Amino acid sequence: MITPTLLLATLPFKAPEPGGFHAPGPDIFELPPLWEGAPTWLTKPTLLAMFSAVLLVVLFWGAFGNPKIVPRGLQNIGEIGYMFVREQVGRPFLGKDTDRFMPLLVSIFFMVLVWNLMGVIPFIQFPVASHIAFPIVLAVSVYLLRIVLGMKIQGPIGFFKNMMFPPGVPKAVYILLAPIEFLSNLILAPATHALRLFANMFAGHMILAFFSAVGFYFIFEDFGLLGLPVGVLGTVMTILMTALEIFIQFLQAFLFAMLAAMYIGNALHAEH
Amino acid sequence: MSEQKRTPENDGRDFADAAWSVPAYLMSGILVWGGFGWLLSHWTGVYAFIPIGVILGVGLAVYLVYLKHGR
Repeated sequence: MITPTLLLATLPFKAPEPGGFHAPGPDIFELPPLWEGAPTWLTKPTLLAMFSAVLLVVLFWGAFGNPKIVPRGLQNIGEIGYMFVREQVGRPFLGKDTDRFMPLLVSIFFMVLVWNLMGVIPFIQFPVASHIAFPIVLAVSVYLLRIVLGMKIQGPIGFFKNMMFPPGVPKAVYILLAPIEFLSNLILAPATHALRLFANMFAGHMILAFFSAVGFYFIFEDFGLLGLPVGVLGTVMTILMTALEIFIQFLQAFLFAMLAAMYIGNALHAEH
Repeated sequence: MSEQKRTPENDGRDFADAAWSVPAYLMSGILVWGGFGWLLSHWTGVYAFIPIGVILGVGLAVYLVYLKHGR
């Protein structure tokens, strides 16, 4: 006798057994050295960071190594990128000092952009900045530059005085305000500068890894009545999330460079 | 330091500066004075110092944003 239960059992449906599908966890960021016996620091992210640097040097050398008055080809693209950084990142914060800092801002923006895009390039697929050491190094560099510049231009004491003691307040209130200024300007600002980039890249990579793992597992390993739609959904979501991720990667590179320009601008012009 | 002229360029910078510094100020206000309130409550056993500190911190942070960007 065929009971509904038996009928169900003949259908190509398997209940996900324990130990079946594993959602990828933070362990996907723990990468071993590239080959057996390689130095422990030589992992995929460090290789990608070096590769990105070389790639940028080659691209910009190609664009500006032999500049023509009427730009063609790579120079066109390079100039569009340079103009974007100058008009959108530099000018609003640095004003007439923009040109002095353009080499730094262009380097920061394109370095971070290429690092981030490594997260969606097929077969590479690892955003360098999802290892927090990389954004920390950039953020600390900008932080040191900001403090050195500020102390040079506004004077060693003037810089901290302008930052922590806004004028026009009764003296006693400074006791209440100065600690807030100190924490927000000298500790939280650089920390969030690095964390924002890191957290976005970390979360984005996790999301992509999760949806592509869902798509792969339910289409290739647990194919069935329930598996197929879930797998298709996972695949579609992977594609949509990749598009979103490209946007976020660009946005974060822009924000990172923009905040760098803002901090440098604060060092150049005293806050008021 | 308000000798700077109010040009559209400076206005844009002020606006962006304010927008980016507000969250940091709020967080710092809560951390500094909320933390101080927590210490006080820890030493004295009066629990009410924590919310007082947090609210004082938020208020001071808002005042600071006004001082730096609102005038």
